[in-house]
Amino acid sequence: MSSGQAIFTDGPGTAPRRPGLFSRMWKQRADYLYVLPAIIVMLIVIGYPIYYTIDLSFSRTPTTLKLSDKTFVGLQNYVAILTSPNFWKVTWQTLVWTVLSTIFAFGLGLGAALSLHREFAGRAFMRGLLLIPWVISAVAASYVWKWLYHSDFGAIGALMVQIGVTDEPINFIDNTRTSLYALIVVNVWKEFSFAMIMLMAGLQTVPESLLRAAQVDGANAWQRFWHVTWPHLSGVSMVTILLLVVQNFNSFIIPFVMTGGGPAGSTHIWITHIYEIAFQRQNWGAGAAYAVILFILMMILGIFYVRALTRGDATRAGT
Amino acid sequence: MTTSRYRESALAAMRRRTLLKYSVAAIVAAGWAGGFTSAMAQSVDLSKWSPEYIRSIAGTETFDTAGTCGKVVPNDYAGKVSYWYTGPFEADPVIAHEQDAAFWEAFKKTYPNIETDVQSITYNELLDKFRTSLLGNAAPMVIRLQILGGVEFAAKGYLEPLKPEDVGYTTADFWPGALKSVTWDGVGYGIPTNNETMGFIWNAKIFADAGLDPEKPPATWDDVVAYSKQIHDKLGISGYGLVAKQNAGNTPFRFMPTIWAYGGGALDEASENPTYEKAQLNSEGTKAALQAIYDMYVRDGSVPTSALTNTQAENQAPFIGGQLAMMIAHPAEYARMLDLASKATGADKEVADAVVENMRYGLIPEGPARRAVVFGGSNIHVVKAEYVEGGVVDEQAVKALICMWTSPEWSTKLAWVGSNPGNLGGFKTEWMKERLDTIKFLDVTTSMLPSGIPFPVLPYAPEIMNIIVPDMMQNVLTGTMTVDEAAEDAAAKVDALSSGGI
Repeated sequence: MSSGQAIFTDGPGTAPRRPGLFSRMWKQRADYLYVLPAIIVMLIVIGYPIYYTIDLSFSRTPTTLKLSDKTFVGLQNYVAILTSPNFWKVTWQTLVWTVLSTIFAFGLGLGAALSLHREFAGRAFMRGLLLIPWVISAVAASYVWKWLYHSDFGAIGALMVQIGVTDEPINFIDNTRTSLYALIVVNVWKEFSFAMIMLMAGLQTVPESLLRAAQVDGANAWQRFWHVTWPHLSGVSMVTILLLVVQNFNSFIIPFVMTGGGPAGSTHIWITHIYEIAFQRQNWGAGAAYAVILFILMMILGIFYVRALTRGDATRAGT
Repeated sequence: MTTSRYRESALAAMRRRTLLKYSVAAIVAAGWAGGFTSAMAQSVDLSKWSPEYIRSIAGTETFDTAGTCGKVVPNDYAGKVSYWYTGPFEADPVIAHEQDAAFWEAFKKTYPNIETDVQSITYNELLDKFRTSLLGNAAPMVIRLQILGGVEFAAKGYLEPLKPEDVGYTTADFWPGALKSVTWDGVGYGIPTNNETMGFIWNAKIFADAGLDPEKPPATWDDVVAYSKQIHDKLGISGYGLVAKQNAGNTPFRFMPTIWAYGGGALDEASENPTYEKAQLNSEGTKAALQAIYDMYVRDGSVPTSALTNTQAENQAPFIGGQLAMMIAHPAEYARMLDLASKATGADKEVADAVVENMRYGLIPEGPARRAVVFGGSNIHVVKAEYVEGGVVDEQAVKALICMWTSPEWSTKLAWVGSNPGNLGGFKTEWMKERLDTIKFLDVTTSMLPSGIPFPVLPYAPEIMNIIVPDMMQNVLTGTMTVDEAAEDAAAKVDALSSGGI
């Protein structure tokens, strides 16, 4: 019997041959048609600018600033950037900014989420209050903080003098040693609410019965958190941290509004530096090369992000 | 020849051509500009320029705008013109709105058959919107841009050559410095509409309290350093309102006058015949200016600590609060202080009113080389037809509009609040007299005009002024570099820029 032979030949446990890629695409052609408009729009508004940026990154902007006269210089922009001490200075500042902002925003967000997860009087009010930094405009917040930090007339400096902590107002943002950290504080204040919301959503998935069972078994608060709550939060934590990292790598408003990258370049991070090179110095080639480097880095982070998301899907699907 | 050698050779040739182009442009421009003062008779006598002279010529002549422009373009001409400019907005005084409306009414009356398509766009949006419209061939026929805005577009080939003679005036009717600012590659690409310079303001009461002559401003920049220290040491407040923020237009407008006064420059823009060939930021003059601000900020601590993040706007509050003694200020600063005082309440109101009462305007101090101030203002330009919406420029209608706008009458009326007429004839009008009678200290700030030096007329001048110069200041003030190191670093950046480096 031919059919029996075929079964025998393939052997038990051997998966049936999958149809080819084009065959599968043809079968799912309706799905592709549904997403086609979005893909076309993306190609126009994202794909072309990316192509143009890459193209620009291999050219030199002429002194007349006329882009149609740009000249091909190969990898010269990349070499110039990667060998520039300024690039490494800005990269280090970007790393400090991103790592510290992410750690503290996540830590504070986790603490706030755990606190607000418990029942207490005024919980809704507190939740609303803690959301304020996230919902107000970053530009407005930056201006408010700029005045709070003001080296001559800032409220924080005046308070420090009044309560006797210092004799003179502290120079937070006009000092190359403290300015970046002062801005990180503002950034953490602005974005910890985001981590809080994400983690509060994650806390909803922790089974109450498990926590109660652990309590009955004599587990203390830390043990309940570490052995029951945290494992359930690991997925959402990974996503939150990745989103915070991407967000912080791409930060612009706070350093731009508060210090413009100064003093002496001490608060320049990648995006503000790219903006300065491309739009204020109109050096499109070098700005584009910077942007391409950042783009590659973001794509790598994007892969981790997608993996983190799909790992959750795979776990739920039991595969 | 290998490809890379060919590229290097081509780049070098291009740099030489660029350098040659700039040199020719600068020499022609300088010759043109220099020629004004020597060979051509100005509409007014610039050698006598002073507050008294300005008052003496105001209201001495009348002008027939419709008649003058009618000789350039017949008043019955039928056509169409599109125009973009930064007109008055909500925050501007009523009179600015009234004058703007009056102009369009007068234009309609003078040229009833010319249809106008006018857009008033905010200062911060105008350049970006114009750049975008040029890429889409949807630009207006005529545009008014801030003083150095036109150079970029002239260099890119978007503008038509335009000189005062094209609309019935002479080059002698405009400030030489203003005409220099619209010259690219030896060709004029615009006509000045308005020009202004800043002055020096101080609080006479603070001067008196610190033991200084309340009615006598510092005569030199060395005096500014000394006065600032004396005020800070005696009263514990800031003396001079230094501004050193990066990427802020206020910074070069307030520091370049110091550099020029000490004999330095970004390039050689302060010289009689600038060539813009070599950076001057490492000159002794520039270093002396850097040393002066270092002495005030680091050695004496006599200026606001927040200077590194301050723009001029942030100096207004301490000035009106009696916590800052002196600063470089725009002609409209007095009106701003009046406005701030009117909004103050309680004890603050008393302080603010006293500050306004004690506010004085004077000339910006001089240095060993000269007295200097940045020459500011706006120019009007004509866009090439291929970049204009519809692909056509109605030359006659365009000329009619520009003739009216740059006339002695309208260049005075349209610059009523914060500027001065681009057309020198405007200083002789009755409207100038009215302005002098109603706007306090206008004669003082206006008398700074002959000391005005325009920023280098180069497409990349904004990078030098808004990035390199503030960086140089911050490197010194934060101790990141010494004065010498910061000056050499900045000069190297300017030289690299002019040779096409990244």
